[in-house]
Amino acid sequence: MKHFSHVLSVIAQRLILLAIFLVIWWQAAQHLPPFVLPGPAATWQALIRLWHSGTLVQDVGITFSRVLSGFLLAAVIGTLAGLLLGASQRLAHFCEPLLAVFNTVSSAIWAIFAIIWFGISDATTIFVVFMTAMPLILTNVWQGAQNVDAQFVELARSFRMSRWQTLRKIYLPTILPYFFSGARLAFGFGWRVSLVAETLGSSDGIGYRLRQAGDLVQTSQVFAWTLLLISLMLLLEGGVLKPLERHLFRWKKRS
Amino acid sequence: MSLAIELQDVSKAFAGQRVLENISLTIGQGEIVALLGASGGGKSTLLNLISGLLSADSGQITLQGLPARQFTGWQQIGYLFQEDRLLPWRTVEQNVHFGLENSALSAAERQRRVSDALALVGLASFARHWPHQLSGGMRSRVALARSLVAEPQVLLMDEPFSRLDPHTRSSMHNELLRIQQLTGMTIVLVTHDVEEAVVLADRVVVLKPHPGRIHLQAPLHLPRPRIATTPVVNEQIRLLRLEV
Repeated sequence: MKHFSHVLSVIAQRLILLAIFLVIWWQAAQHLPPFVLPGPAATWQALIRLWHSGTLVQDVGITFSRVLSGFLLAAVIGTLAGLLLGASQRLAHFCEPLLAVFNTVSSAIWAIFAIIWFGISDATTIFVVFMTAMPLILTNVWQGAQNVDAQFVELARSFRMSRWQTLRKIYLPTILPYFFSGARLAFGFGWRVSLVAETLGSSDGIGYRLRQAGDLVQTSQVFAWTLLLISLMLLLEGGVLKPLERHLFRWKKRS
Repeated sequence: MSLAIELQDVSKAFAGQRVLENISLTIGQGEIVALLGASGGGKSTLLNLISGLLSADSGQITLQGLPARQFTGWQQIGYLFQEDRLLPWRTVEQNVHFGLENSALSAAERQRRVSDALALVGLASFARHWPHQLSGGMRSRVALARSLVAEPQVLLMDEPFSRLDPHTRSSMHNELLRIQQLTGMTIVLVTHDVEEAVVLADRVVVLKPHPGRIHLQAPLHLPRPRIATTPVVNEQIRLLRLEV
């Protein structure tokens, strides 16, 4: 009963926040020209036009597949490299400056390089997503590998388990939470930088459409895209990532 | 009585520091032996040498009639650590199953053995719980079940109950003796608690530190169950305390 009323109160709070936001938006739009700030109604109409345009699903699909490709590539390589660094202290010490360099280079610089190297193609966006996501996953997996409990490794040894078995039964479960938080961060960043990459080096996808709308000063359409992206990300977070995390880490004590 | 474990002039040093010197010890099949001594006496090192987790610098270790180097039946030797070392991401059942994952048994046989081991320690109804949901005593029982599930003939224990409260510890002692009666396994127990040694062991081996060596071996012929507060048991504890 208490739980139920708590949920109701959260929903009410969210709705009030949304209402306040809409009122402020609507009021502000009244005093500004529509190419600076289109109102909620104009944005809604743009959203409906977008829905009927026919390329919406295609654009979202293309962008999503690029983000996913870059992300999966980053996950595989980042995890392997993180495990490698975790296994060898000397290698980790040697490579540490490299990681610092990776983390300081802006995604925009990777995007410029990508255009020089790959031109206007899928590879440009995939490369930028990869370069942004990979260091994040690598760092987290590496950190996880350093946090493997020596007592558990000794336990596996007392049962005469092989290196491979120890890796699978002790290392991977320990690293999984670290990997997951890294991957989540990486996917969020990757998704955002993919749009930057697409505005610069692509002839389709969400980023390209955004720039097109911007160039033509179709501000309401830019707003419509923004709204769409936010809902998509929230849906992904609440519909896939949160439940997945809750299932994977159900063994953790709820605090 | 056939020999389960035999050590001859075993020595071990870490970084030039002699930890064990000329240890000779024989342990019979089905015997319960307590290695007793202050910390730093090399008790745990001795246990690790027997378990094969460490190798001796010199001397001979024989397990069930075979030199340790030729011995292959490590599955028959269980090891119980001081901490329960339950894997937090596995349920109770899966933690016990861990003890069988290096064996060639069929899935059905493993499942049967896991259920049996959990029933043996009285945790059958907690099979699906997570470790963080259990009390310290229950966690200890799970660790014990994980060691027993492979049906070892020798169980090596490194102060396994030292972190439990006195009441839980004494119930674990009874549990252990009951299971040993059922299985007839050999138990080598490391402890710094004289009372624990007297309550459990058929023979107490007292070690002295710097370097670790055997000070004396005392066979105990007291009837079981041994309750620490009865005069005979209490007297034995007092006598041994003078030697430690």
